[in-house]
Amino acid sequence: MKVVLAQVSPRLGDVEANVELHLDILARARRAKADLVVFPELGLTGYTLKDLVEEVALDPDSDPLFRKITARTRGLAAVVGFVEERPSEKGLFYNSAAFIADGRLLHVHRKVYLPTNGMFEEAKFFAPGRDLRTFETPFGRVGLLICRDFLHYGASYVHYSSGADMIICISAAPGRGVGGGDAFETSRMWELMGEAMSYFSTAFVLYANRVGIEDGVTFAGGSFVFAPGGRLAGRAAYLDPELFVRRIDLAAVREARKKWLFKRDEKPEVILRSLERAIRAAED
Amino acid sequence: MPPKINAPFVEKVLVRFIRDELGKCGCKKGILGLSGGLDSAVCATLSARALGPSNVLALIMPYGKAFPEDVRDAENLARRLGIRHETIDIAAPIDAYFAAYPTRSRVQRGNKMARERMSVLYDHSAREGGFVLGTSNKTELLIGYGTIHGDMACAINPMGDLYKTQVRELAAHLRVPAAIRRKSPTAGLWPGQTDEAEIGLAYEELDDILFGLVEERKRRKEIVEAGHRPAAVDRVVRMIRNSEFKRKLPTIAKLSLRSVGHDFLYPYDWGK
Repeated sequence: MKVVLAQVSPRLGDVEANVELHLDILARARRAKADLVVFPELGLTGYTLKDLVEEVALDPDSDPLFRKITARTRGLAAVVGFVEERPSEKGLFYNSAAFIADGRLLHVHRKVYLPTNGMFEEAKFFAPGRDLRTFETPFGRVGLLICRDFLHYGASYVHYSSGADMIICISAAPGRGVGGGDAFETSRMWELMGEAMSYFSTAFVLYANRVGIEDGVTFAGGSFVFAPGGRLAGRAAYLDPELFVRRIDLAAVREARKKWLFKRDEKPEVILRSLERAIRAAED
Repeated sequence: MPPKINAPFVEKVLVRFIRDELGKCGCKKGILGLSGGLDSAVCATLSARALGPSNVLALIMPYGKAFPEDVRDAENLARRLGIRHETIDIAAPIDAYFAAYPTRSRVQRGNKMARERMSVLYDHSAREGGFVLGTSNKTELLIGYGTIHGDMACAINPMGDLYKTQVRELAAHLRVPAAIRRKSPTAGLWPGQTDEAEIGLAYEELDDILFGLVEERKRRKEIVEAGHRPAAVDRVVRMIRNSEFKRKLPTIAKLSLRSVGHDFLYPYDWGK
C-alpha cells in the first residue's frame, strides 16, 4: 500500500482554509494512487489556539466542512486532526484524530495526554481523552495516538496488545535545542520512540508531524515511517513542507513476527495484574 | 556554558522565522537600527537573507559626531549586504529636550536616545509599511540590559533566544566582518562605555551563570559550587528578578471575568 504523510503548515484558527488544504492534498494523493493520507495534529485548526478552541470545534458527523473531507475519501483513507465537540457533550473540547476510510468515519481518538507545562497549555483548553482502542481498517488493525500520547510508551503497548498492525501518531511537535545536527534536538526523541516501538511491537509506526511557525515556535517536521523490527522506511525533511510518500507492505508484520516472537510471548494479563497492584499501592 | 550551536541550522530556522512572521502579515519589508555592533549586524544579515537585501532598511542613528567608527562600520556593513540604509542624526531632538530638562545622569540621557531611535524606527515602519526587527539577545533580555520602550521595542525578535556567546558563533558563521566581531560590546550610552564593565561580568561568565540558572534550573548554591563568585551569582540573580517588568506587558488590574492580560488569551499569529 501507498501511504502519504502530509507534512503541512495549517493556518491558525482558519478551519475553512485548512479544509481546502486538506481537500487539495487528498486530491493529489488520489492522483498519486495513495491508499492512506495522514495529516498532522490539529491540522484543521492550527495548534496554538488558546481561546480560539471553542470557535473552531466541530462535530465530525454533522459539520458540513468536515463532511466534505469525509466525502473526499472515496477509495482511500485519511487521518485528520481537529477539535472535537459532540452535541451530547456541549462545551467539552477534545484534541482529536479521526480515521476516515471510503467516505466513512471509522474511529475518533481523543488525545489522552495533554501536555500542560512550560510552553504547553493544552489541559487549560482541552478535555482529556479517556480511552485507547484499536479498530479494524482496510489495512489491518490500527491504533491512533496524538503527539504526546506517543511519548508515554504505555499507550503504544495498549495498541500493540490490542492487535495493532500499525500505530499512527499525528503530531504538532515544536522543535527545541539547536546544539545538534541539521535538526532540532527534540526530533531525536520522536525517532527513538518510533524505532523502539516498531522494533518491539513488530508493527508499523507512522508519525506525521507538522511544519511552519506559530507565535515564534517552529514545528520540527521530520515525519517518518518505521517498518516492523525498527527498520526506518523513510523520513520527511526537517522544517520544510513535504508530501512524503512511501510504499509499505503489511506482510512485513507477519515477517517480523516470524523472526521476533515478542508478540507470541507477550503476557498482557501479567502486566495488567501487576499494574493494578502498583496502582493500588500508589493509592494507599 | 550554553552549548555550542549548530550555526547553519540556527540560520535556517531564523531565516524562516523572519520570512514567515512578516509574510503572514502580508509584509515584505523589515526595518532595523544598525549600530555598528554585533547584534544588529547579525540581525541585518539574517534579514537580508530572509527578505532579500532590497527589502531591508537599516537606520543608522548616531548622536551627533559620537562613535564615528561605529557609524562607518554600520555603513560599510549595509553596503556589503546590499541593504538600503540611511544615517539619521538624533542630536537635534535630544538636545532640544535636554535644553529644557537638563540632567547629569548619563543613563537618563542614554535611555532618552534609545527611545528617540525607537521613535524614528517606528515612524519609518509606518512610512515603509515594514516591520521593526528587534536585536536584543537572550543575555540582555534575561538581565534586563536594555531600555524598555527603547532598543527593546520591536515587532518581532529573531535573536531573543540566543545568548551573547551564541550570537558570536552565529556571527562568525554569517561572516560578519571581523571589525565588528572584535569590538567590545557596548550599549553606546556614552563614549568609553562597555557592557562588560557596566554589568561587572565578562559575557562568558555571565552566560555560564545564566545558562545554569535558566536552562538547567540550578540553585544559587549549585552555581557557586561549580566555581562562580558568590557576589557575581547574586548580582545576576538580582538583575533577572528586577527586570521581569521589561519582559512583560504592563500588569492590568483585574476587575471582570475576562480581562486583557489575564484570561483573554489569543495567539499572536491569530488567523495567520
